[in-house]
Amino acid sequence: MGKAEQSALKEELLAKLVDELTLVNRKLSSLIELNEKMLKMQEKFLRVGSEKPPFGGELKLAPDVMTLLSLPPSLRKTAMVLLKLDKATAEDLARETRRLRPVESAYANQLVRMGYISKKREGREVYFYIESPMEIRK
Amino acid sequence: MRKKAISIHSSRGGTGKTVIATNLAAIYAVKGVNVALLDLDFCAPSLVDVFSKGISGSVKHWLNDFLDGRCRAEQALIDVSKAYGLKGKLLLGLANPSIEAIRNMMEKSRAWEVTAVKRLFSLRSRLFDAMDVYCCILDTSPGVQYMSVNAVVSSDIAVAVATLDSLDLKGLENMLAELYDAFAKRSVVLINKVFPETRVWSSDEQTDLIGKMEKTLKHRVIGVIPCYCDVLQAKRTSLLAVDKPYHPFLRNLEEVAEKLDGIKEVDMEEQVLAE
Repeated sequence: MGKAEQSALKEELLAKLVDELTLVNRKLSSLIELNEKMLKMQEKFLRVGSEKPPFGGELKLAPDVMTLLSLPPSLRKTAMVLLKLDKATAEDLARETRRLRPVESAYANQLVRMGYISKKREGREVYFYIESPMEIRK
Repeated sequence: MRKKAISIHSSRGGTGKTVIATNLAAIYAVKGVNVALLDLDFCAPSLVDVFSKGISGSVKHWLNDFLDGRCRAEQALIDVSKAYGLKGKLLLGLANPSIEAIRNMMEKSRAWEVTAVKRLFSLRSRLFDAMDVYCCILDTSPGVQYMSVNAVVSSDIAVAVATLDSLDLKGLENMLAELYDAFAKRSVVLINKVFPETRVWSSDEQTDLIGKMEKTLKHRVIGVIPCYCDVLQAKRTSLLAVDKPYHPFLRNLEEVAEKLDGIKEVDMEEQVLAE
């Protein structure tokens, strides 16, 4: 094979290689774009998941710290204690806030109606708790 | 000593939060108190570099992993007390400094933040109840950001660090009134980098300054620390409390630690909540 032929072959191979790499690059770009879209959708899904409509006291939005700031001080205190205790009866809340149990019960139930917290009965006790929008293993 | 979580926060950057947080933690550990120091500045992590001498090998689990539920509290903490010859335990919770991790933290949703603050409370309980820790120091990012507010909310005492810069003080005034008081936090102010160390400063002058600051900020000022050039110029990997235990900066900080120990448990009824 002559020198001219060798160089033509080299050029042809290089051109092929460039074409292939361009194709791979394009595919990678579209994969990255797709991945970003999926991440955004996942994020959106998680946000929507925590913002169910407040029909019948259903969970609307678990109170993050910025939401706490928008609550009246009396309710904010109850919600803050609940963040700390994870789950609590009105009596547990009253012990922490040093307010009366019926007062605490009224505030907690108001938070339930507003959709910020949930409550469940376990035996004779009623527990208030903040549902973790993204429950994670302990 | 009463168990407590202390957040170190400021309205703006460059007030010396990290130097104060790291040395405060070291002061406690030198005395034999078990301490945890958590880097909650996920946008600009620094403790991993400050303690690079004491961290052997690569970090397996970051605080990011704990908050994301990918590891247990114990796995996200590194004990560096032996490396620095400290009497008490010094447990570090480090923020991941990789750009990917920072980007990831910046994209977190409000839903995630609720879980994160709950996990911070659970970490606190774990440290106090199961790991024999007496003091947990939370080094935060400046300003009002989710994680810095999470840190303030989950602490017993919020220390707001400020310089005498007018913008800094204005920001602090707003933050104290609209954030700390709203959360009914036991909060105190620490003024840092006040005048050059070389300036002769009478105790009357100091009392005057504290009085003025307390009147303006309507919060207790627990310390006024001069601006020490060698502290500013020292390598960030140098832990003053270990390397220069007799430095006047540390004497100031030891007084602050004593005052912090004297602060009563948060009594929510005493707070300024206008109910």
